[in-house]
Amino acid sequence: MKNIADKSIDQMSIGDKSSFKRTVTNEDIIEFARISGDINPLHLDAKYAASTKFKKRIAHGMFLGALCSRLVGVYLPGRRCLYLSQDLVFKNPVYIGDTVTVTGRVKHKSNAARIIEIAIEIKNKKKLAAYGTAKVQIL
Amino acid sequence: MKTFNQIAQELLKIPAGQVRDDITPKDVPDWDSMNYLFFISELEKEFDISFTMDEVLNAKSLGEVKNIIKSKGVAL
Repeated sequence: MKNIADKSIDQMSIGDKSSFKRTVTNEDIIEFARISGDINPLHLDAKYAASTKFKKRIAHGMFLGALCSRLVGVYLPGRRCLYLSQDLVFKNPVYIGDTVTVTGRVKHKSNAARIIEIAIEIKNKKKLAAYGTAKVQIL
Repeated sequence: MKTFNQIAQELLKIPAGQVRDDITPKDVPDWDSMNYLFFISELEKEFDISFTMDEVLNAKSLGEVKNIIKSKGVAL
Protein backbone atom coordinates (compact mmCIF):
# COMPACT_ATOMS: atom_id res chain seq x y z
CA MET A 1 0.00 0.00 0.00
CA LYS A 2 1.35 3.41 -0.95
CA ASN A 3 1.63 6.48 1.25
CA ILE A 4 1.57 4.57 4.51
CA ALA A 5 4.41 4.85 7.01
CA ASP A 6 6.01 1.64 8.21
CA LYS A 7 7.96 2.31 11.39
CA SER A 8 9.23 -0.43 13.70
CA ILE A 9 9.44 0.04 17.46
CA ASP A 10 13.19 0.63 17.10
CA GLN A 11 12.55 3.42 14.61
CA MET A 12 10.21 5.29 16.96
CA SER A 13 11.51 7.87 19.44
CA ILE A 14 9.95 10.16 22.00
CA GLY A 15 9.24 13.46 20.27
CA ASP A 16 8.53 11.96 16.83
CA LYS A 17 5.76 13.96 15.17
CA SER A 18 3.39 13.64 12.26
CA SER A 19 0.48 15.72 11.03
CA PHE A 20 -2.01 16.11 8.22
CA LYS A 21 -4.82 18.44 7.24
CA ARG A 22 -8.44 17.62 6.43
CA THR A 23 -11.25 19.87 5.26
CA VAL A 24 -14.63 18.79 6.64
CA THR A 25 -17.36 18.54 4.02
CA ASN A 26 -21.12 18.15 4.13
CA GLU A 27 -20.63 14.68 2.61
CA ASP A 28 -18.35 13.73 5.52
CA ILE A 29 -21.09 14.55 8.02
CA ILE A 30 -23.81 12.76 6.05
CA GLU A 31 -21.62 9.69 5.59
CA PHE A 32 -20.52 9.64 9.23
CA ALA A 33 -24.18 9.84 10.32
CA ARG A 34 -24.98 6.92 8.02
CA ILE A 35 -22.06 4.78 9.15
CA SER A 36 -22.41 5.46 12.86
CA GLY A 37 -26.17 5.86 13.05
CA ASP A 38 -25.70 9.12 14.95
CA ILE A 39 -28.42 11.19 13.30
CA ASN A 40 -28.52 13.85 16.00
CA PRO A 41 -30.02 17.04 14.46
CA LEU A 42 -27.09 19.16 15.61
CA HIS A 43 -25.17 17.47 12.79
CA LEU A 44 -27.91 17.10 10.18
CA ASP A 45 -30.68 19.68 10.67
CA ALA A 46 -29.69 23.27 9.83
CA LYS A 47 -32.87 24.71 11.37
CA TYR A 48 -32.33 22.94 14.66
CA ALA A 49 -28.61 23.83 14.70
CA ALA A 50 -29.53 27.50 14.12
CA SER A 51 -31.57 27.44 17.33
CA THR A 52 -28.56 26.32 19.40
CA LYS A 53 -25.50 28.22 20.58
CA PHE A 54 -23.58 26.76 17.64
CA LYS A 55 -25.83 28.49 15.04
CA LYS A 56 -24.77 26.05 12.30
CA ARG A 57 -24.49 22.28 11.91
CA ILE A 58 -21.30 20.88 13.43
CA ALA A 59 -19.22 17.82 12.67
CA HIS A 60 -19.59 14.77 14.91
CA GLY A 61 -16.93 14.71 17.62
CA MET A 62 -16.09 11.16 16.71
CA PHE A 63 -15.45 12.19 13.13
CA LEU A 64 -12.41 13.86 14.68
CA GLY A 65 -11.85 10.54 16.46
CA ALA A 66 -11.80 8.88 13.06
CA LEU A 67 -9.05 11.29 12.03
CA CYS A 68 -7.05 10.12 15.07
CA SER A 69 -7.43 6.60 13.71
CA ARG A 70 -6.01 7.78 10.38
CA LEU A 71 -3.09 9.47 12.15
CA VAL A 72 -1.94 6.32 13.97
CA GLY A 73 -2.96 3.81 11.31
CA VAL A 74 -1.35 5.58 8.39
CA TYR A 75 1.34 7.98 9.64
CA LEU A 76 2.49 7.40 13.23
CA PRO A 77 3.53 4.56 13.33
CA GLY A 78 1.50 3.50 10.27
CA ARG A 79 1.34 0.01 8.83
CA ARG A 80 2.35 -1.94 11.96
CA CYS A 81 -0.10 -0.10 14.25
CA LEU A 82 -2.47 -1.92 16.56
CA TYR A 83 -4.77 0.75 18.04
CA LEU A 84 -5.26 -0.06 21.73
CA SER A 85 -6.97 2.92 23.29
CA GLN A 86 -7.87 6.54 22.77
CA ASP A 87 -9.09 9.30 25.04
CA LEU A 88 -10.41 12.43 23.44
CA VAL A 89 -11.71 15.76 24.76
CA PHE A 90 -13.79 17.97 22.47
CA LYS A 91 -13.04 21.65 23.08
CA ASN A 92 -14.56 23.60 20.19
CA PRO A 93 -16.93 22.85 17.31
CA VAL A 94 -15.83 22.12 13.77
CA TYR A 95 -18.09 23.35 10.97
CA ILE A 96 -18.53 22.36 7.34
CA GLY A 97 -15.71 23.91 5.31
CA ASP A 98 -13.29 24.11 8.26
CA THR A 99 -9.82 22.69 7.70
CA VAL A 100 -8.43 20.93 10.75
CA THR A 101 -4.83 19.97 11.36
CA VAL A 102 -4.30 16.68 13.19
CA THR A 103 -0.93 16.42 14.92
CA GLY A 104 0.50 13.51 16.91
CA ARG A 105 3.66 13.47 19.03
CA VAL A 106 5.16 10.39 20.70
CA LYS A 107 5.29 11.09 24.42
CA HIS A 108 6.16 7.64 25.82
CA LYS A 109 7.63 4.45 24.43
CA SER A 110 7.92 1.03 26.04
CA ASN A 111 10.20 -1.31 24.13
CA ALA A 112 9.28 -4.26 26.33
CA ALA A 113 5.53 -3.83 25.87
CA ARG A 114 5.95 -2.51 22.30
CA ILE A 115 3.51 0.26 23.25
CA ILE A 116 3.81 3.92 22.38
CA GLU A 117 1.67 6.78 23.66
CA ILE A 118 0.87 9.58 21.26
CA ALA A 119 -0.39 13.00 22.34
CA ILE A 120 -2.85 14.18 19.70
CA GLU A 121 -4.07 17.71 19.04
CA ILE A 122 -6.67 18.66 16.46
CA LYS A 123 -6.57 22.35 15.65
CA ASN A 124 -9.07 24.37 13.66
CA LYS A 125 -6.87 27.22 12.47
CA LYS A 126 -5.28 28.25 15.79
CA LYS A 127 -8.15 27.09 17.97
CA LEU A 128 -7.98 23.70 19.68
CA ALA A 129 -10.89 21.55 18.49
CA ALA A 130 -9.95 18.37 20.36
CA TYR A 131 -7.06 16.69 22.14
CA GLY A 132 -6.28 13.29 23.61
CA THR A 133 -3.89 10.39 23.95
CA ALA A 134 -3.67 7.29 21.80
CA LYS A 135 -1.98 4.09 22.93
CA VAL A 136 -0.84 1.81 20.15
CA GLN A 137 1.14 -1.38 19.98
CA ILE A 138 3.62 -1.80 17.17
CA LEU A 139 3.27 -5.23 15.63
CA MET B 1 3.44 10.82 41.47
CA LYS B 2 1.51 7.56 41.55
CA THR B 3 2.56 4.65 43.75
CA PHE B 4 3.04 1.07 42.58
CA ASN B 5 -0.16 0.09 44.36
CA GLN B 6 -2.16 2.88 42.72
CA ILE B 7 -0.96 1.81 39.28
CA ALA B 8 -1.83 -1.81 40.02
CA GLN B 9 -5.29 -0.77 41.18
CA GLU B 10 -5.86 1.40 38.15
CA LEU B 11 -4.47 -0.81 35.38
CA LEU B 12 -5.19 -4.31 36.72
CA LYS B 13 -8.43 -3.30 38.49
CA ILE B 14 -7.30 -4.71 41.85
CA PRO B 15 -9.50 -3.32 44.64
CA ALA B 16 -7.85 -0.86 47.04
CA GLY B 17 -6.31 -2.64 50.00
CA GLN B 18 -6.01 -5.95 48.14
CA VAL B 19 -2.70 -5.31 46.36
CA ARG B 20 -0.29 -7.96 47.73
CA ASP B 21 3.06 -9.28 46.55
CA ASP B 22 1.75 -12.83 46.10
CA ILE B 23 -0.99 -11.82 43.66
CA THR B 24 -0.70 -13.55 40.27
CA PRO B 25 -2.74 -13.34 37.06
CA LYS B 26 -4.91 -16.22 38.34
CA ASP B 27 -6.12 -14.02 41.19
CA VAL B 28 -7.08 -11.01 39.08
CA PRO B 29 -9.74 -11.28 36.35
CA ASP B 30 -8.45 -8.13 34.60
CA TRP B 31 -4.81 -9.28 34.56
CA ASP B 32 -4.85 -10.36 30.91
CA SER B 33 -1.92 -10.05 28.56
CA MET B 34 -2.90 -6.63 27.20
CA ASN B 35 -3.65 -5.05 30.59
CA TYR B 36 -0.35 -6.45 31.85
CA LEU B 37 1.47 -4.64 29.01
CA PHE B 38 -0.41 -1.41 29.82
CA PHE B 39 0.63 -1.95 33.46
CA ILE B 40 4.30 -2.40 32.50
CA SER B 41 4.21 0.64 30.20
CA GLU B 42 2.69 2.79 32.96
CA LEU B 43 5.29 1.62 35.51
CA GLU B 44 8.06 2.53 33.07
CA LYS B 45 6.60 5.99 32.56
CA GLU B 46 5.94 6.66 36.25
CA PHE B 47 9.30 5.43 37.57
CA ASP B 48 11.39 6.41 34.51
CA ILE B 49 12.76 2.89 34.01
CA SER B 50 12.81 0.31 31.22
CA PHE B 51 11.93 -3.36 31.50
CA THR B 52 13.54 -5.93 29.25
CA MET B 53 11.38 -8.35 27.31
CA ASP B 54 12.66 -11.23 29.52
CA GLU B 55 11.71 -9.37 32.68
CA VAL B 56 8.20 -8.78 31.35
CA LEU B 57 7.76 -12.42 30.35
CA ASN B 58 9.29 -13.97 33.46
CA ALA B 59 7.56 -11.98 36.20
CA LYS B 60 4.86 -14.21 37.69
CA SER B 61 3.48 -12.08 40.53
CA LEU B 62 3.18 -8.48 41.64
CA GLY B 63 6.04 -9.09 44.08
CA GLU B 64 8.31 -10.20 41.23
CA VAL B 65 7.39 -7.09 39.23
CA LYS B 66 8.20 -5.00 42.32
CA ASN B 67 11.58 -6.72 42.71
CA ILE B 68 12.48 -5.90 39.10
CA ILE B 69 11.68 -2.24 39.74
CA LYS B 70 13.73 -2.26 42.96
CA SER B 71 16.67 -3.85 41.09
CA LYS B 72 16.70 -0.72 38.91
CA GLY B 73 17.32 1.51 41.92
CA VAL B 74 13.75 2.59 42.60
CA ALA B 75 12.62 2.57 46.24
CA LEU B 76 9.06 1.32 46.55
